[in-house]
Amino acid sequence: MVTVKINGKEITVEDGTLILNAARDAGFEVPTFCYQADLIGIGSCRMCLVEIEGQKKLQPSCVTPVLHGMSINTESPTVVSARAGVLEFLLANHALDCPVCDKGGECELQDMVYRYGPHKGRHAEPKFKFHEKDYVLSPVIIKNSNRCVQCVKCVRVCREVVGANVLTSLNRGDHQEETSFLRSFLDCDQDGNCIEVCPVGCFMRLPYRYKTRPWDLKGADTVCPYCATGCRMVIEHRDGVVIRARAQLGVGLNSETLCARGRFGFDFINNPNRLTTPLVRKRGALEPASWEEAMGLIKKNFSVGGGKVGGIASPRLVNEELYLFQKLFRTVFNSPNIDSSSRWDPLAVESFVSAASMHEGGVSIFDCMASDTLLIIGSHLSDENPVTDYIVRRISANRRMNVIIASPRAMKLDSSATQLLRHLPGAEDSVLEAIILNLNYDKLPDETLKPVKDARLEALLSTAGALDKEIKAIARKLGASSTVAVIAGTDFLRAPQSIPALGLLKDLLRSRGKKVTVLPALDRCNQRGAWEMGVHPGFGPGYSRVDKKGLGCDGILAAAEQGELDALYIAGSDVASMYPDGEFAAKALSAVKFLVVQDIFLTETAKLAHVVLPGASFAEKEGIFTNQEGRAQIIRKLLPPPGKAKRDFDIIRAVGESFDPSFGPKNPVLVLDEIRKEAPMYGDVSLVFNNKKNIEDKLDNRAALVKGAQSAALKVSRIEPRADLGGAEQFPFRLVTGNHLFHSGMLSRMSSSMTGLLNAAVIEISEGDADALGLRNGDKVSVRGAACEAQMTLRTRKGSGKGMAFVAENFEDAPVARFFRRGKGAPRVAITKI
Amino acid sequence: MESVLLKNIGKPDAHRIENYVRNGGYRALAAALKLAPEHIIQMVKDSGLRGRGGAGFSTGLKWSFIPKDPTVAKYLCCNADEGEPGTFKDRGIMDNDPHLLIEGMIISSYAIGASNAYIYIRGEFVFGARRLEAAIKEAYERGYLGGDILGSGFNLDMYVHRGFGAYICGEETALLESIEGYRAQPRKKPPFPALSGLYGKPTVINNVETLSCIPAIIEKGPEWFAGIGPAKSPGPKIYCVSGHVKKPGLYELAMGATARDIIFNHCGGMLRDDRALKAVIPGGVSAPLLTPKDLDTPLDFDSLAAKGSMLGSGAVIVMDSSTCMVKTAYIINRFFSHESCGKCTPCRDGTPWLTKILRRLEHGEGRAGDVEMLESLCDNIFGRTFCPLGDGAVMALRGALKNFREEFQYHVDHKRCMAC
Amino acid sequence: MNGRTKGFNLLELIKKVVFTDFVKGLSITLGYNVSRSITQRYPDEEKWIPYRRWRGLHYLNRDAEGRELCVACELCSKACPTQCITVVPMEDDSGRGIADRVAKVWKVDLVRCLYCGYCEDACPTRAVRLGREYETACTDLASTVRRREELLVPQALAENIEGGVLVKSRLVRTPEGIKVEPDLRRHKKRSL
Repeated sequence: MVTVKINGKEITVEDGTLILNAARDAGFEVPTFCYQADLIGIGSCRMCLVEIEGQKKLQPSCVTPVLHGMSINTESPTVVSARAGVLEFLLANHALDCPVCDKGGECELQDMVYRYGPHKGRHAEPKFKFHEKDYVLSPVIIKNSNRCVQCVKCVRVCREVVGANVLTSLNRGDHQEETSFLRSFLDCDQDGNCIEVCPVGCFMRLPYRYKTRPWDLKGADTVCPYCATGCRMVIEHRDGVVIRARAQLGVGLNSETLCARGRFGFDFINNPNRLTTPLVRKRGALEPASWEEAMGLIKKNFSVGGGKVGGIASPRLVNEELYLFQKLFRTVFNSPNIDSSSRWDPLAVESFVSAASMHEGGVSIFDCMASDTLLIIGSHLSDENPVTDYIVRRISANRRMNVIIASPRAMKLDSSATQLLRHLPGAEDSVLEAIILNLNYDKLPDETLKPVKDARLEALLSTAGALDKEIKAIARKLGASSTVAVIAGTDFLRAPQSIPALGLLKDLLRSRGKKVTVLPALDRCNQRGAWEMGVHPGFGPGYSRVDKKGLGCDGILAAAEQGELDALYIAGSDVASMYPDGEFAAKALSAVKFLVVQDIFLTETAKLAHVVLPGASFAEKEGIFTNQEGRAQIIRKLLPPPGKAKRDFDIIRAVGESFDPSFGPKNPVLVLDEIRKEAPMYGDVSLVFNNKKNIEDKLDNRAALVKGAQSAALKVSRIEPRADLGGAEQFPFRLVTGNHLFHSGMLSRMSSSMTGLLNAAVIEISEGDADALGLRNGDKVSVRGAACEAQMTLRTRKGSGKGMAFVAENFEDAPVARFFRRGKGAPRVAITKI
Repeated sequence: MESVLLKNIGKPDAHRIENYVRNGGYRALAAALKLAPEHIIQMVKDSGLRGRGGAGFSTGLKWSFIPKDPTVAKYLCCNADEGEPGTFKDRGIMDNDPHLLIEGMIISSYAIGASNAYIYIRGEFVFGARRLEAAIKEAYERGYLGGDILGSGFNLDMYVHRGFGAYICGEETALLESIEGYRAQPRKKPPFPALSGLYGKPTVINNVETLSCIPAIIEKGPEWFAGIGPAKSPGPKIYCVSGHVKKPGLYELAMGATARDIIFNHCGGMLRDDRALKAVIPGGVSAPLLTPKDLDTPLDFDSLAAKGSMLGSGAVIVMDSSTCMVKTAYIINRFFSHESCGKCTPCRDGTPWLTKILRRLEHGEGRAGDVEMLESLCDNIFGRTFCPLGDGAVMALRGALKNFREEFQYHVDHKRCMAC
Repeated sequence: MNGRTKGFNLLELIKKVVFTDFVKGLSITLGYNVSRSITQRYPDEEKWIPYRRWRGLHYLNRDAEGRELCVACELCSKACPTQCITVVPMEDDSGRGIADRVAKVWKVDLVRCLYCGYCEDACPTRAVRLGREYETACTDLASTVRRREELLVPQALAENIEGGVLVKSRLVRTPEGIKVEPDLRRHKKRSL
């Protein structure tokens, strides 16, 4: 701790604190352009110059750490005149076209000049202009360099946080321009973080262009509805049209960063194809109907007890709705047949929850990043959870830590890895078991280790496709660390035989006195919340034990196909598109005697329904999302649901009330109270967020993390690998699925910005495989599986494993689900050029 | 004074290693490799050698900041990015006597424990770069470079790194960025390069002339060196004289020669006898100029600093009475605004503004208040830039404004020049 | 005091005999009969043309090349104390406006407007001005909202016409409504 004097006020701060932060702590304002807490300081804008007693020159406070006994003046006449001088220089070549600039009204340069600037312009020379017209850098980014203040935050955020490295500075001096190389069209993550950090109107959103002024916008705090990273953001509308989503500096774990989906993918809210009225099947076709009619049909066809009913709720609903949904089934319909995922096996989910210690409470990503070693396995983090990827990149670059990435596909985060392992797809179990064999295991009881001890390292290495020295290096790093964090992704749920190995590794490392945190990387915004609310056939709210286990999605569909299911209530889930074996799902859903689908779009599933109920999007309701870390975050309502659509909460409650008038609670606040009682892990979750501008790097809101509730109900089960579909000779590529960077489930397909970034399906194979087939990046190819064929565009990726083809599960023109066969392992495909 | 730095220049084929060795070259290296590195650093300290690149920091002291830990890689960089207008001393050495520099660098690397040395040479010096590369090859062949130099167990690899023509690369941290492959922009200091320089490792960056002094110090001893010139900044110094003199060129004199001595004794007087001396820039264009009344100031670091100017690189530019000071200031400023790296605001946006005003003055479009505006803008730039180059840009203009203000005012009032 | 009441006042008598007060009063009346009328025969024959500083109905300007000056910066609507101006910008680089940002919607609700002229002051491009049109009475509220298209039509009174005069005019009845058509060539200075 050092004590310094700032403007005569003594303050004690940590060693190495920047003068800027010390001054802000002491309550003095220091203006900055190029400083950003998350980025490496460059001290170039000279706005933050301060006077230090005994030093001749003014010093940049954003890169100068305090020294004991320093006497600093941030308000002296020299400092004040220096600020005004710098602003005068910045304005010298600034375009001053505020009336047409989209940033006008929330521009940092405007604010600074208003506050500190020379209020008289002396520059009477011709200005240098980079270009006459704004130029488009990408489908979502437009650029005007004439307004630039050269803070270089865009280039730095692109390099240090996003890792895309597509922006740079061109030229020199006053001709310096931050843009893409040669101003060419950007082929990057399109996440627009360059827009968010830009203090002026230099980088701008293209979809937002010339739509409004910031003061006309009305906003609501919310959480991104795509992946489970749980980025906090604000969505803003004008006249009922949502036109902007932005992240706020220092708010949420993401601070100012968002990915392309979060920043631009909100426009499905105003998609004209939204359902606005209930639909009822009449003479074979869905026709608009009144709520009374729809509810009447539900009342007639659902039976309380007796008949066999099932429910599938989407992991994009809020916790209150999910809680009510499971309550509806468990207490009103007396049916345990509920699930929250159309893709995962309930047993796999239960094992994963237990192996990843999700029932032990929330784990902050920042805790993970404070550990000695981080192992990322089973997740293509850069595409699935981009902002988690940013956090890992940013923090690992500034810390001495091991980042081990085990993944079959190459990803952007690889450049941050200290140890990289390319293994065969679906072989996470072999990788982990091989690591365990290389660790010294003497404290675990024999029976837990038996399967591993029986395994032969050579066999494991060959099924994993890994080298012995790579595994040894990983084991050495894990063994030498006292804190280990594991980010385990959805590939564990896709290949559930790997889950026990994950649990075993965790137990083994813990038994050796290491602190092990496991962070599940999930791909639906409230997947963890859905499980914690008990929307699962095997456990109840707070992972509590249930008396009777029910059927999961797969079981429900199987029963439906047999004609045994009387009624099925699907809330928000597009089972027909997402269930791995599309053909079977469609057949089963058609065989349901009475199918109710509640959604915001007429999905493939809804098209099969007898009654379709229009629900509300995340912008139209209040509630809680629990992200992958177990951080419960509140979303607020921005708009009313369109037309006759209702909040999903109201719909579920109305369905319940039509059977049991006392069904409740009647409003979300009371539901939350009940959740706190039923799921003790939510007992004292705080929903209060500090939305203040956070100048420090402390973005972790531990108060929102759910607490642990030790549950004995869950256990890791060994799950036998599904039989391979076979046909390796005919179909040389093993199909790997997941989400594309620009898409998440089928929801993002309704956003015109996201379809504008990528509309048609792409298949990704390694460069080596493409060369062997004589194919090139961008070729149109035909992808043929045992049961299905689709046309896609080929993308090649350097560094990916061989014999593996990735197709995102988001494209209706390339229905990946149709390549799968129920009960079988990953399908194989052949690729031919068209 | 006996010539030390330019002793081989003018001799036929002086750049060839056999001629260099014949003239006593690499003897100092052999002697140095027998000494302990600390001893060499002490010798350089005792010699009082100060950096010839411009700042005049004590070379021995700079070397002594390098950590002694042998496990840490260290680097020596030779700053041969001689970009200051009017300066051509380093080019003289590199073009004609490259082995002198190489020998100095090998001894320096040995002293600081570097096993890699870089010569960052200005991109325009194609000839010099080729000469250096050929010389390095010769040195490798003769065993002065590479593994186990002269059987001492000391290893050194030397590389020539060519710049792409940016003045900012003469700033030591920008030079490091450029070698690393980044945009040449200065880094924040601290940490100083002596602790975290090239690739984050301890690095010494010295000027060509500084390093070329080293063999002589080893050979003739620090006392001899310290005995040349003034006590506080001893040693031989190359003055690059250009402008309105009869015989411009490189002159190696003892440090502390006066401008009068250089111009009238060594350079043969003013170019035209009917034109009087108007001003002298003593150390490259960023140094404030001297007027005839200061002609007897010794051109060394401390004496010039006392006069508000600086020795800089030792580029003496002589201007006679036909020179328009506004035009001079305009040309100098145009250079600085063109060479501004763009990192910090005052230099990036301030120098072009100054240039625009000076251009108007020069072209007879001056406005009332322009001179005051120039002064005010200089105040806004000076001391607020990231690196010293921004200060350098306004120092010359400030000097011109101080001494020749009436000439600037004349341009404003009469829309034409006073001198021509 | 007595003397005055009792005394005979010849002057008073004469005044009474010849009805001086009556004549005085009548002369005013008769004087008005022959003096110039101060009644404006609006709208049938005359119309008052206000001074240039008058703040009447808004209009939107174009530049010399006919491009709209409005860049839809929305400062007018922000400055408006009654929030009667609505601006929605859009992008159009076809040369419609001086910038590629133009107004998709620019409308003013004249019922709310209090003609303070803040919009005029706020406008960075001098696009919106308050003109001298003041006949805004109407029978339905819908027509009190004036849109960009109508406001871009130049007003009948050009800027260069000095105001402060009464001009001959004609009341025209058309199916669209009534209109007072001024004849700017025949005007007279009105004394205040």
